[in-house]
Amino acid sequence: MIHFDNVTKVYPNQNRPALQHVNVAIEKGEFLFLVGPSGSGKSTFLRLVLKEERPSQGHVHVAGKDLNRLTNWKVPHLRRRIGCVFQDFRLLPNKNVFENVAFALEVIGKPRRFIAKVVPEVIDLVGLEGKAHRMPDELSGGEQQRVAIARAFVNRPMILLADEPTGNIDPATSIGIMKVLDRINRTGTTVVMATHDAAIVDAFRKRVVELEDGRVVRDQSRGVYGQAY
Amino acid sequence: MRAQFVLQEIWIGLRRNLTMTISLVITVAIAMALLGTGLLIKLQVDSSKSYWHDRIEVSIFLCAKTSSNANCNKTDVTEQQKQEIQNDLKGLSVVKEVKYESKEEAFERFKESFSNSPGFVNSTKVGDIPDSFRVRLKDPEKFEEVTKLLANRAGVDQVVNEKEILDRFFKILNGLQWAAIMIAVIQVVAAVLLVANTVRLSAFNRRRETGIMRLVGASNLYIQLPFILEGAIAGLIGGGFAAILLVGSKVVLIDQLQESLQFTSQLGWGSVFGVIVFSICVGVLLCAAASFLSLRRYLRI
Repeated sequence: MIHFDNVTKVYPNQNRPALQHVNVAIEKGEFLFLVGPSGSGKSTFLRLVLKEERPSQGHVHVAGKDLNRLTNWKVPHLRRRIGCVFQDFRLLPNKNVFENVAFALEVIGKPRRFIAKVVPEVIDLVGLEGKAHRMPDELSGGEQQRVAIARAFVNRPMILLADEPTGNIDPATSIGIMKVLDRINRTGTTVVMATHDAAIVDAFRKRVVELEDGRVVRDQSRGVYGQAY
Repeated sequence: MRAQFVLQEIWIGLRRNLTMTISLVITVAIAMALLGTGLLIKLQVDSSKSYWHDRIEVSIFLCAKTSSNANCNKTDVTEQQKQEIQNDLKGLSVVKEVKYESKEEAFERFKESFSNSPGFVNSTKVGDIPDSFRVRLKDPEKFEEVTKLLANRAGVDQVVNEKEILDRFFKILNGLQWAAIMIAVIQVVAAVLLVANTVRLSAFNRRRETGIMRLVGASNLYIQLPFILEGAIAGLIGGGFAAILLVGSKVVLIDQLQESLQFTSQLGWGSVFGVIVFSICVGVLLCAAASFLSLRRYLRI
């Protein structure tokens, strides 16, 4: 589903590469934790998948397509197949839960009837039954993140990228968020989650890819956050 | 869904920076009105020019006892001189028609053209306007041949070329037209910069929305269209005001000009309408283009 083929990324005006010779293959339906300290290249990894950045060297393949060859014109279609969740939720404060989720479908031109049918289903899926008409500032952090996940998932993407989704949320609430991501993963969606949260990684026992200074230092199935001692 | 969504976004954008939108509309309206006025004056000048081109005459005033020209020696022109002058004029290749106008005919014509100001007519009497030849040329530019032929000719008091008088007058109108167009161009530049700024502000205000749109894979057109239409709609409203101003300038400026200067060619509402449509199109396209260009720098994939 996602293949990094000897990818190096150097940002302009920086000597140190953000990623160096990264080779990772993520298969369809996998759940993968991307761990490592700040500045180790986790976010760059995710941005490369979205084609927000281009690799300086090497190739990134998403769903069988070489992103280097993907024209800018087709980038929106790539992104329709990838959902994104962030640490800071990125909800629209002037829209309620339903409208926030529906926004993702409206802007890609889905018909109103389809939206009316699909959005409530997803709101239920992430565990926000009965809260469709709340505004974001009436929700807790965990609930806001659920809205963001619903928005990322409403178009049924093949891949869900989550950049520290539990970073702003207390541990107890984080478990709930992880359960939602797990539920989404069970529908066949590939989930890539960048995180600092050792407790979560240790509890879930999924594949772990650890980055350090832009290099893959560990790729372990059913891994834990820290080195296995 | 699409249309409604786009319209809603435009409305939000225009309302959020209302003051910018208002100043934009005013600037566009003034720019387009000035541009249109310049074009209207140009149309008027062009049509009157071609009208006069066919009717322009060179008047050759002949000597009378009252004329102050030393060449005349305080004597009337003789019949023989008149005949010679007429024959010579008719011999010129550039001359289309030669008409003789006696003192009496000249006075009648004078009375008729100034019938509105009886005081002026009463203080004039037959003989104040001397006998004259009125020469129409095939090409009014070649009046010099006539002047050359009749320079210092016995019996000729003055050669007056209507073209020179009209040229001076058209020069003023030309100046007016260019002044309007120059100011319009400056205003258009201001309008374009203002559009660019308004749209940039609008894009900044909505960077959350556009950021999410990018992430969920909205096409560029979908992201940019509300902003471009925002500019275009401001241009359209400005153009609407400009249309009102142009109708005003047709009534106040052009019609007044026509009346006081006795333009024989009327500038119809048809051409005013054409100018209005043209300036609205220019306004809308300029605003849309300015939005598009400023977005290219601001909203990248």
